[in-house]
Amino acid sequence: MTTTAPSPSNPAEAPDNGGDAPGPLLRAWRAILTRRELLLVILLVVVLVWMTALSYGGYLTGPYDPDYLATSLVDAVPLAMLALAELLVIVSGRGGIDLSIGSIVSLTGMVFGIVHGLWGWPVAAAILLAVLVGGLLGAVNGVLIAWLGFPALITTLATYYAYRSLALVINAQKPISTPNIQSLYSLTGAVEIPVIGHDIPNVPLGVFTFLVPTLVVVWLLLQRTTYGRRLFAIGTNDVAATWSGVPVARTRLLAYVLAGVLAGVVAVYVTGQFASARPDAGTSGNGLALPAITIAVLGGVAITGGIGRVSGVLLAAVLITWLDAGILLMFEGNDGTQFQLLALGAVLVFCALLNSFTTRRYGGTR
Amino acid sequence: MTATSSPPPRTRGARRARGPRVIAPLVSGQEIVLLAVIAVLWVVLGFATPAFLTAGSLRPLFIEVAPIALIGVGMTLVIVAAGIDVSVGSQMMVCGVITARLLVEAHVPLPLAALVSVLVGAVMGAVNGVLIAWGRVHAIIITFGTLNLFQFVGRQIFGSQTVNGIPATLDVFGRGEPGQTLGLPHSFLLTAVIAGVVWWYLRQTPGGRHFYAIGGDALAAELAGIRVRRRVLLAYVVTGALVGLAAIFTIAKGTTTLDQSIGAGEELAVIAAVIIGGTSIMGGRGSVLGTILGALLVQTVTSGVTQLGWPSNLSDLFVGVFVIVAVGTDLLRQRTRRAAR
Repeated sequence: MTTTAPSPSNPAEAPDNGGDAPGPLLRAWRAILTRRELLLVILLVVVLVWMTALSYGGYLTGPYDPDYLATSLVDAVPLAMLALAELLVIVSGRGGIDLSIGSIVSLTGMVFGIVHGLWGWPVAAAILLAVLVGGLLGAVNGVLIAWLGFPALITTLATYYAYRSLALVINAQKPISTPNIQSLYSLTGAVEIPVIGHDIPNVPLGVFTFLVPTLVVVWLLLQRTTYGRRLFAIGTNDVAATWSGVPVARTRLLAYVLAGVLAGVVAVYVTGQFASARPDAGTSGNGLALPAITIAVLGGVAITGGIGRVSGVLLAAVLITWLDAGILLMFEGNDGTQFQLLALGAVLVFCALLNSFTTRRYGGTR
Repeated sequence: MTATSSPPPRTRGARRARGPRVIAPLVSGQEIVLLAVIAVLWVVLGFATPAFLTAGSLRPLFIEVAPIALIGVGMTLVIVAAGIDVSVGSQMMVCGVITARLLVEAHVPLPLAALVSVLVGAVMGAVNGVLIAWGRVHAIIITFGTLNLFQFVGRQIFGSQTVNGIPATLDVFGRGEPGQTLGLPHSFLLTAVIAGVVWWYLRQTPGGRHFYAIGGDALAAELAGIRVRRRVLLAYVVTGALVGLAAIFTIAKGTTTLDQSIGAGEELAVIAAVIIGGTSIMGGRGSVLGTILGALLVQTVTSGVTQLGWPSNLSDLFVGVFVIVAVGTDLLRQRTRRAAR
């Protein structure tokens, strides 16, 4: 990686800057390495150009065009929202991580399916309950981790087991897809944006009803509230935060509750997306937690806590979604899903190594 | 942080007088508690379902527990050194499909296939170990990444088909009569032997104690002259190699068909067994004996739930609760020790 970079000790690269001032090339290189958003934008452009070129060359099984990209955003919604949940808990520090988030999606989805689909509660009340249950399940994690000092990794592993088990048992492993639930499918349908909608492709409704509000709320929470500042403070150095009068345990606890709440909202979305409340909605295959953590780390969230931005996570979610969508078109049938695993794994390892490198060289990703 | 809570400086004579107390006791409190819990569960299950305490019911339990316990032995090394490996399930998929196809399509003799499986596992472990030790990235991130990579490799080798007609040579590790000696399944016996060796290595050799030092404080261990990276690499390589062997056990206890679900969720069961066995997730403390008991407890609960006629998925709930209880005990012990100092 460094071989292509102009090294600071090489006088030929920066002869007329004088002193230690880095040359423009070096500055750009450094910005790409330390500004995660910049790197992600570049990667995104590379993926889009590459896939579009393949599409024009006729190498893909379908067109990789704006319409297709817009449709594929339907998968980005739950991924991005859960990655934001991971952002909150990882930023809270002390090895913060939430492996149970996929199970929370399954369990709250089943609760939502039972009260809305079987008992006929109105949608609003059912959504409220799902959010409350999600928050409660997150609070169990939070109490154990923040108050009692359990390590987050193993605690959420245990609750992953427990919640997944409950989700499977609660309705005897059967999905719920009564007409009530099926009518929710319209939540995820594509809509034309008013005024400018003629010129751009239709975007799935979930992007506006779920993703954008969540992004705004989380961004405001992190950047414009005392709570957000405290969260970064405890993630950076919780001893210093304690001595500055920050209620460390309560702040960290709330991060896990918020992650649970977000998972509850995702549960409603996923139920609508599949027109069915599935007991394994968040746990089938590799589950939803792994991709969410991957996207958070890819988005520049430092696993050690205290560093992370909403914009990076959003860009990472979009990058992975569009990369996956492209890969799916590169193969006949279902073979593409395997290469999605390859892409996800390779991108995660690459970004983790990159994070480690930039931390040592430049003092971290900003 | 280490199992041998740092002894105060003593004279030579005093240390000799105290003798073996400098080394950790042969069994820890947690292990005795685990044994008691398992015994109580067995008695309770024996009363609840008369069929439980029979050879026909206990033998499958030991067959089921063998792969989890075997990988757990390696995972104990990894977690004692303050690491973690969540990619063992995917590793098992790769080893399993390679072995199965070698046996079915190339008619390779079993010992050779087993050797290949162990080597393939060791190579995957080495990939993890190198990335973690030399890339200086947190183990969970790297192994999450390699989990996906190994799964890709495994599915490519499967080629979206199942492997059919697994030969009877594997019966030596199977459920039937050829898989037993004195009524005990071979897979469990082999696991017990390997666990014994690693138990001795961790307890009695300087190399083994290095893992505890690394888990206690990697920087201090490095400064004390321990080759931290090599030890970390070794932990992951051993885990991978044991996954290779466990894959053979897993194929042998199944039917003659191998599908892509092999290894799914294995990592969680293994980590749960290690943690329930009293190994601290923060590193620096734990034993192989505890891991074996932890795996036995997990499997006892799983088969108990099935035999009581409860929904089989309920067993995960109990596993989760056991993990929480085990971690809670560990924390409590740390606090009392810190308070005592």
